[in-house]
Parts: sequence; C-alpha cells; structure tokens
Amino acid sequence: MSRRGRALAATLSLALVGAAGPGCVQPQCTSPRYSDAECRVIAENQHARLLTSRGVELRFQAPDAREDDSWDALGLVEELADGTLQARVAGAGAFAISVRAPADHDIVLPLRLLNVDPDAILAVGIAGLELQQPQDPSAGSTRELELAIAAGQVQWIRGRRPCPARYRLAVTGDIQTNPTQFERIIEQLHHEARESESAGSPLVGLLVAGDLSESSRDDEFQLIRELLARVPFPVAVTPGNHDIYRPARPYNNLAFGPGNHAFDVCGVHVAMLDTGSGAIARSVQARLPELLDRGDSRFLVVGMHHPPYPGLTGSGWSQDDLAAALLAEVARERADLVVAGHNHALHDFSGIPVGDVDLREIIVGTGGAYQGLGVPRYGYLRLTFDDDAGTMEACFVEVPPSGYAEPPNPPLRGLPYCDTP
Amino acid sequence: MAGVGIAPREPRGGRAHASAAWAIAIALLSPTTALASAPPSELDGGSTPAAEHLEGPAPPLEPALDPDAQRRHSWAACAPGIEPCTRPRPARALLLSLGVVGGAVAAGLLFGLGDRLAPSDPATFLVGAGALAGAGALMGALAGRLGADGPAAPDRLRPPTVSLAESYAGPRYLDETPAHMLQLHVAPNLFLPHGHGRLRLLGSVGGWLAPVREVDPRPQFTEVPPGQQGTAPQVLRQRHLRVNLGLDLAVALPYPVLAPRRSARLGASELRYRPEVRIRRDHFAPGSSESTILERTMLLPLTVGARWHLSPRQRFTVYMGPRFDFVAFSDRGSDRGSDRGSDRLRRGGAQLGPLYGEAWYDIDVPLDARARRDHRPRKLAATGQLTIGYIHSNFDGQGFDFGPVIGFLGPIHVGWSTRLRPAGSPLAAQVGVFGRIGGAPSFGLELGLVAPDLRLRGRATR
Repeated sequence: MSRRGRALAATLSLALVGAAGPGCVQPQCTSPRYSDAECRVIAENQHARLLTSRGVELRFQAPDAREDDSWDALGLVEELADGTLQARVAGAGAFAISVRAPADHDIVLPLRLLNVDPDAILAVGIAGLELQQPQDPSAGSTRELELAIAAGQVQWIRGRRPCPARYRLAVTGDIQTNPTQFERIIEQLHHEARESESAGSPLVGLLVAGDLSESSRDDEFQLIRELLARVPFPVAVTPGNHDIYRPARPYNNLAFGPGNHAFDVCGVHVAMLDTGSGAIARSVQARLPELLDRGDSRFLVVGMHHPPYPGLTGSGWSQDDLAAALLAEVARERADLVVAGHNHALHDFSGIPVGDVDLREIIVGTGGAYQGLGVPRYGYLRLTFDDDAGTMEACFVEVPPSGYAEPPNPPLRGLPYCDTP
Repeated sequence: MAGVGIAPREPRGGRAHASAAWAIAIALLSPTTALASAPPSELDGGSTPAAEHLEGPAPPLEPALDPDAQRRHSWAACAPGIEPCTRPRPARALLLSLGVVGGAVAAGLLFGLGDRLAPSDPATFLVGAGALAGAGALMGALAGRLGADGPAAPDRLRPPTVSLAESYAGPRYLDETPAHMLQLHVAPNLFLPHGHGRLRLLGSVGGWLAPVREVDPRPQFTEVPPGQQGTAPQVLRQRHLRVNLGLDLAVALPYPVLAPRRSARLGASELRYRPEVRIRRDHFAPGSSESTILERTMLLPLTVGARWHLSPRQRFTVYMGPRFDFVAFSDRGSDRGSDRGSDRLRRGGAQLGPLYGEAWYDIDVPLDARARRDHRPRKLAATGQLTIGYIHSNFDGQGFDFGPVIGFLGPIHVGWSTRLRPAGSPLAAQVGVFGRIGGAPSFGLELGLVAPDLRLRGRATR
C-alpha cells in the first residue's frame, strides 16, 4: 500500500475508533435541554418528590405502595414562596403520597391537594392504618389537609374514587391561542358533570392531549392551570410540541407534573405519554409494557399529543420507528382506543391494521386552537364505559364558538355527536 | 430521442443534431464512460435517488463555435460548451421562484386552511421540497459563480455499483451504545437502446453493528448496576436489520421541447418511476424472556419523479408517491432460545401511510479541471459531487424539527462524493461522506466501486 493509502486507512480507522470508543461521555441531560423527551423524564420524576424547607419529604407513590424508599412520577409537589405545600395529582382515580417527617422533631404540616375528584375518599395515616377523612364536595377538586407527624414517622395519604358500572371520560387537546374557547368547553363539562352524575354515569376525568400553551410560557401555563382548577373532576395532561420547545426549563412539568404517567380510574387504565418532542423517550419505550399494563381494569385508553397513526394529516411523529413500536405495544395489549391531538381537527381512524389487530385512533385537537378558515369544530370527545356490558361508546360534544346557538358542523361518519348532555 | 448531450456543434449548423446524436451514440457504446450521476445513497440505506443525466459526455465546444460567445456575460447566456443551449441562470431563477412560491403557497394553505385540510401531507411535502429547491438554486448560483456551470463533468457521479456505508448516530451518553450502521448497497445500471432510458436496481442490506443500548435516566436509581459506570440502568437493548429493494426507471424527455424553434432552453428533463420496498426488523431485548420483534415494511409502488438539468453540472430531482405500511410484531418472549421469532410474527394488512417524497439538488465539481504543471496527462481523474436533499419520510426516524414545528418535516441530507478513476480504467472508486440533519443527527462514510454499466443493444436501423 502506498504511503498515501496507509495514511488514509489510518485516518479512517482513527475516525471509526473515535466514534465507537468511550470518549468523553456523560449521563444524558447533565446539561439539560427540556425540549429533549429524556430530560423531561428526569424532570417529571424530580418534581414528584420534595424535601421541604422544614425537612419533610413528600413523595408521590404508586397507589398500592407500602414503602417510601422510592417514588413514582404520578404528580407534582411544590413548596410555594409563602411556605404553602401543595401536591397536584397527575391523573384521576387512586393515588398515594408518602410524607416523612424529619428525624429529630414532630411536625404539623398543612398540605393542599390539587386535582382530586370531589367524590374521592381520602385516608391518612401510617401504612395500613390510614383513617378516612371527612369529605367536602364544596371544595371542588382541591382538598386541604393538616397532618401531624411524629419525628421520623412516615404517613400516607391515599385517595380513591368509588365508581358505578357506567362512567365517562372526556378528551380534548390543543388549546394554544384560544383559552377563551377552552373556558366555554369547561362550562360545558360543568354542565355535563352535573347531568351525568344524576344520570348515574359520572364524568370521572378529562384527558388533555397536549398543546395547552402556544409558546411554552409561564404565564400561559399559569392561566391554563387556573382554568383546569375550575374543572369539577381530575384533569390528566400530557404535553404537546408547543409546550416543550423552550428548552431552558421544564415549564410543562413544573405546571402540571409528569407527561408520562398511567392511572386507573374506575374500570379504565389510562396511559398518558409525552410525545411533545415528536416521539416518546427511549426509556419510556422500554417502560411501555409497564405503562400499558391494564391490570384488573377492563379498558385501556392511551393518550398522547402526536398521533402515532397520522394518515395523510401530515401531523405524525418525528420518528416513525418509535410510533410503530408504540402501536405494536398498544396492539399487543389490545388497547380500546388511542387518543391524540396535534392536528387541529377531529378525525376518527378505525381499523388501523397493526399486525393482526385493528386499532382505533381518534384525533381530537379541538380544544380551542386555531383551525384556519371555515367554521371551526371545537369540543371534546366523550367516552362512555360500561363495565358490566364491557362496552365503550365514543361520541363528540361540539362546543361552538360564541355566536352559534347550535353546533355548526356535521358529525363525522362513524363518530356521532352525543345525544344527551 | 434527442437527449441532452453536450455534443460539439457541427460547423454547418443544420447538422448539429446529427453530431449530437453521434456523440450520444459514442458515449453510450463506451463502457468506460460514466454516464450518470446521482446523489449518494441515503444514510439509512434507503432509496438511492437515481440522478444521472441519461446521455454521456462529449468534448467541450470550441469557443469560436459558441453561439453565445458575443454575449457570454449576459445573465441569460447559454452555458459554455453545451448544445443544445441551456441557460443555467434563468433556470435557477425559475427553480428558486417555483420553490419560494410553491413553498409559500403550501405553507399559506396549511396556515390558512389550518389542519381542517385533512390530507395536508402533500402541502407539507411542498414546503420541504420548495425550501430545498430554493436552497439548491441559491447554492447552484453560488457554485455557478465559482465556475460550476461549465461543460458536464467527464466522469459524472452516480451511486456506486457496489458500496459499503458506515454511519453513526450520536450523541453518546454514559452506559449507552448509539447506532453504528453498516450497509451494503448495489446499484447497477442498465441503459436501454437509443438513449431511451435507464433502469437501475436499487438494493441494500445492513444493520447495526452492535446492539443499541439505552438507559433509564430517572433519578430514583441511585446505585450503580453491575457492569455500568453510572446509576441509570440499561433498560433497552435493540438490534436492527434493514433491507431495501427497488427499481428506478429514468426516461429522458425530448429537448429542446419545441425544436427547431427552441424557445424553451431552461434545461432538459427526465421522468422517473421508482417502485420500492423497505423492510426494517427490530429485535428488542434479544434472547431474553421479554424479547419482542417488530417488523415494518414500507411499500412504495407508485413513486414517480422528475429531474431537471438546470445546467450541465446541476440537477434538481423530485420524487413523490403514496406509501403503504405493514407493521408486524411478535408476542413477548417469542424468540426464547432461538432466532425463529419471525415464525411467530403477527402480520396484518396495510396502513395507508403518509405521503412519501424526496427532493434533491446535485452539483458536479470536476476536481482535475486544471492541467498538471508538467503538462503530462493525469493518471487519475477525480470528480466530486455536492448533494443536498430533503426526504419527506420519517420511516427511519430523524424528522427535522425546529421550534414548535415538530413532526411535520423529514430529514435533510447533505453529502459530498468523490470519484477516482485511473486513466483508461473501466473501474472507478467512489468515496462519499454524508450527514443527516434531523432529530438525531448522523453522519457516515461510503466506499464504493463503480463498474461499467450494462447496455441493451437496440436493433440496427438502416
């Protein structure tokens, strides 16, 4: 080989070895950019526990947890500037929080719980001996507690919602520039909550499939958080692309808690996945079997922002390989429904073939975001579950913008408008 | 077929066509002549967008015979040494205008009609392809200023007949193993008689050299697992295999279109048809009780395209077609103790996938244009090619995202290839470097061998 040839071969070898070798590697998100889905996984877990200024440690836990040596990203714990402690539960249904007092002194701890079902039964105490707390439906989805904890003791706060056989979930997404329209949707949800309660099929939760803000700004999240606090039942949120693209801070996680979380409410297992970056994080992909495990629940609903099957909407994932991997997991678990947003419209894709399973995906980006020329179709998807019959019915509640007395759009083929409130 | 050769102009103007036809025939008959050029193979080993000018090179025109010699410096002048005339600058201006207008109209439709325009994927493709066309035209103009509007490069690049490509997708994090891909590509050409067209077989097979490993970065983990350096446990292990197979048929359109009036002198064009199938098989947690297999197949039966030769050294190519996806998967643990997991793949019907599209801009750069100082003939001919491309498909990940624009656009491809041909040799070596700009940037190196093309002999005419 000539001298030039040898030099070229040596250079190529060095380049390959350099690319393959250990080099100067560091853990991911050491210098975090929260537009990266993996960094938000760290953030959502980091903010599900808190060591307060008084030395108390609060941790969100799996509903059936008995030990507090770890925690789970199932909520957001905050200590406000005035010293108030509050914990926002990420999903509907059962939840648990462990509270460990400092080792050297007893403590009395006022705690505000947010996003809790008004009908939920709370129990507080040491593990296995929790005492039921009096209910106060007038407080809406906020509960105030005062915990007296002995030094070094761990107390648990547990909540669960008793459910009838029939119940409902609402789904919407993409609020962005139009929180005013979203307020109209919330009013309709208030109305439906009252009517459905009296009809014996209560509305037990709202899923928001991302894009709550337009520009990931603090003030936008604050406004939406105030609006969501008015919803008379728990709201589960996952971020969209508009919620994550300011990379300096995990604004969405700081406002609402985790983007990747699963919960069981009544007979439904709901998995919310953070696809704000156009795909789930690879570590979340590894956890999909756990997140999609429905356990004893009869139904499985998977919610996210970017639709894993976009059809010809042009609003798919940045990584089709991960979307297909998710669809395969969803098909393996025989999910009843995939709900998504991103596309500011209502689409019902039935019979998406994934292996030998046909999936159904509904895009419901109708939470208020701009829909272009023409009459927009705003509103939410209502899912009515019947545990006894094993059925799930989907229909759409159109909430027209101001100026319309009646829904101005015709229903989609295969997805009717809801007849009853 | 008239073709778009660069034959010398016949002194007696009326016989220019005959001369060009002779040049084409000679070029087609010569096995050592490189007739085609194309963007290098995609990083993912996907399509190799055929990109050759169907006809072969010919000696440059003598300056004295140049019809535009009097107005060589005019903005609309013909490219030097080219017959029929091609006017690169107006052609690029037109491409730039089309790109800007097409992209702007498509973006306007997307914003104006909003997502209520249910099948908005074609508009999204137009945005990407329009941007690429505009960027290509600007880059082409810059290259033209630097001298790249000259006669066609004598040994223009196309995908190597056979090549090996290695690519790397970073960045790398502690205890993780990123993807190192090795792919074998083949792209032999068969030229049809009389310059009627060219058929190329596109094939590639490859995969990751080692399993990719990912960690779970949750802060709950505080102990270092065995065999690791950090506390984040490895939770995902994945092998990847890919196979592509396709055909690319290129047919040249007559040029000039309105001969002999020849009012349209903005460059020749070709039509393309490229049916293709791409298969990806991912094996998660191989060998474990949690092992699963995911197989994705993208069927592109109706991809059609067009190529515009804006100058002898610059081309714009676009492909578009429907896409059908098949997703098959195995049950968990299906490969326990064997590699027969594929036998248990659960297969189903096709999904109508997003629109598939590509747009490419190629610039040839002869690297040995200057004579040697000692005036001796060169032993090695070298030709380069710069390629930029937009691929409207996230089939292999890597969508190009910016700001809140996430999940709409495919990756951007940038590549440089060099062909080295020993004097008089029928074989040439081709080396390329390329990068994919997208969600997970990657870069790679391709080493290839260019063999003589296959040719069908047509029936002799008297």
